[in-house]
Amino acid sequence: MGRYTLRRLLQLMPVLIGTTFLIHFMVWQLPADPFAGRCGERPCSEAFIARMTEQFGLDQPFYIQYLTWLKNAVQGDFGVTFNQVPVITLIENSYPNTLKLALVALAIEGVIGITAGVLTGLKRGGFIDNLVLVSTLFLMGLPIVVVGFAMKWIFWSELGWISPTVSTEVRWSELIVPGFVLATTSMAYIARLMRANIAENSRADYVRTAVAKGLENKRVVGVHLLRNSMIPVVTFLGLDLGNLMAGAIVTEGIFNINGIGLTIFRAIGRHDATIVVPLATLLVVIYIFSNLIVDLFYAVLDPRIRYE
Amino acid sequence: MSDPVTTGGMATRPQGAAEPVAEAAGAARGLWSDALHDLVRRPLFLIAFAIVGVFVVMAAFPSLFTSVNPEFADLSRSMERPSAEAWFGYDLQGRDVYARTIYGARPSIVVGVLAVIAATLFGGLIGILAGYFGGWIDSLLSRMGEIFLGLPYVLGAIIILSIFAGPRSGASATQIMFIVVLVMAFLGWPLIARIARSSVLAVRHSDYVQAARGLGAGPARVIFRHLLPNALAPIIVMATISIGAYISAEAVLSFLGIGLRAPVISWGVAIADHQSLLRQSAHPLLFPAAFLTIAVLAFVMIGDAVREALDPKLR
Repeated sequence: MGRYTLRRLLQLMPVLIGTTFLIHFMVWQLPADPFAGRCGERPCSEAFIARMTEQFGLDQPFYIQYLTWLKNAVQGDFGVTFNQVPVITLIENSYPNTLKLALVALAIEGVIGITAGVLTGLKRGGFIDNLVLVSTLFLMGLPIVVVGFAMKWIFWSELGWISPTVSTEVRWSELIVPGFVLATTSMAYIARLMRANIAENSRADYVRTAVAKGLENKRVVGVHLLRNSMIPVVTFLGLDLGNLMAGAIVTEGIFNINGIGLTIFRAIGRHDATIVVPLATLLVVIYIFSNLIVDLFYAVLDPRIRYE
Repeated sequence: MSDPVTTGGMATRPQGAAEPVAEAAGAARGLWSDALHDLVRRPLFLIAFAIVGVFVVMAAFPSLFTSVNPEFADLSRSMERPSAEAWFGYDLQGRDVYARTIYGARPSIVVGVLAVIAATLFGGLIGILAGYFGGWIDSLLSRMGEIFLGLPYVLGAIIILSIFAGPRSGASATQIMFIVVLVMAFLGWPLIARIARSSVLAVRHSDYVQAARGLGAGPARVIFRHLLPNALAPIIVMATISIGAYISAEAVLSFLGIGLRAPVISWGVAIADHQSLLRQSAHPLLFPAAFLTIAVLAFVMIGDAVREALDPKLR
């Protein structure tokens, strides 16, 4: 297990370095002038440009800039923005909100997806099965923008149950509708995955043995069948946490949640590379590490899998 | 569009230099004609195919559906509700929502389809090369793909688009569409490459590939005459399913204000333009959103049906 973890971590290194370099290069080097539009309608003053160039090392070759940035980031120093606000403050303000939103979405997609999957997997070909199959297809196809505005229209304009913007405290109850929007696509995938697993495992030898032993149905399904069918679903959920946090930009935009996605998006609009690079890197790192943790988690859930 | 019908010709030589007699006798149907046979018997597929057909005609000849100029604006009619003369009402600028929704089909579908074609060609090529040659070429190309996969899709698209096609860049409508297609393909190719690689790996050591090599066939001949026809199915499936996803990605990017914009009339642009007016009246947003949903659903349903038809395990 230890050696496997180490090998996986080593394999991650080139991917991490490549991705962060790609982001760094695109954001800092590709725009012709990093100061375009930074000072409103006027061009920036010479003194400002000189000070910023000095502070962010913009006169150095790009690989030096990247290495310096990487060195600081590894040591936990994400630097300051062009407005001299530490980036870590921005992260502290927005990150908990994104995490909350992603967790709400994860809970919703887990509960609804697994329930639908179990119900349909146990009784294949019935009315509920077909209903779920068609509605998962529907959910997978729905563009998230459309779901977001449809929900906002129904629950805000028509019913008046929610407010159009989530308040600054970001209460859990306010995140239910945005969380549902964020969860729609994954919900359908989980339902299908669970259905396929249940259907496949219900023909397995150990289930037949359990039934033959005379165990009651509740125990066969709840302990033997469910636990074994959960493995791919848990993997998917774990993968999805990283995905949900990185993909929350649209949902955060529609419901005005002060999360990391919206912060990045606004920073991109202002061409503030000092914010975009560390936050994008953070999302990428979370995304990649959630993949790894899920892989390692496999072995805990399924004793048949041994990484040696 | 990548429908399996046009690729049916591949079925004539699925086994490389296999004898064409079996095909002529009609005794054993190949994978492709089998899939086609299966598809035309699925009502859901036929309905989805008809819907896509309507959208393709709409994209090609929008004037067949409406004679109203989508750019004509009459401010006195701003935000008027749907009525007999304007089925979908008027938008904020007093333009006919029905006409704009019809004309919006072209950019949305063209961008989605072109992006899928670009991503499939590039990703497929990389994946086949990685799978065929193996060794360090495989490692290099696979790591490269992983780097792009590590970049979350929307995030990557926002970063690239804001640099190349931001509001300050002054790009024209065609240029914006071109850049959006390139960016979507640029971020989407690793998924296709991964699938192409694994399906090439699956057939690489088959007897007929060994035989072709033994007879002195070069890499190009082995890849195009023997590997590609037999490794094509998963790639086609992935591409078909992706079309729907790419069309909705276009809407997401337009909604964020970095995809298509103003001179272009598209469903995503209509949603972006009227998002803040949701409370006053929802119709300028709901109708394009409904068209977008139907189009995406139709493509997803086709993809789903093609997947089931081409994957014998699911039968």
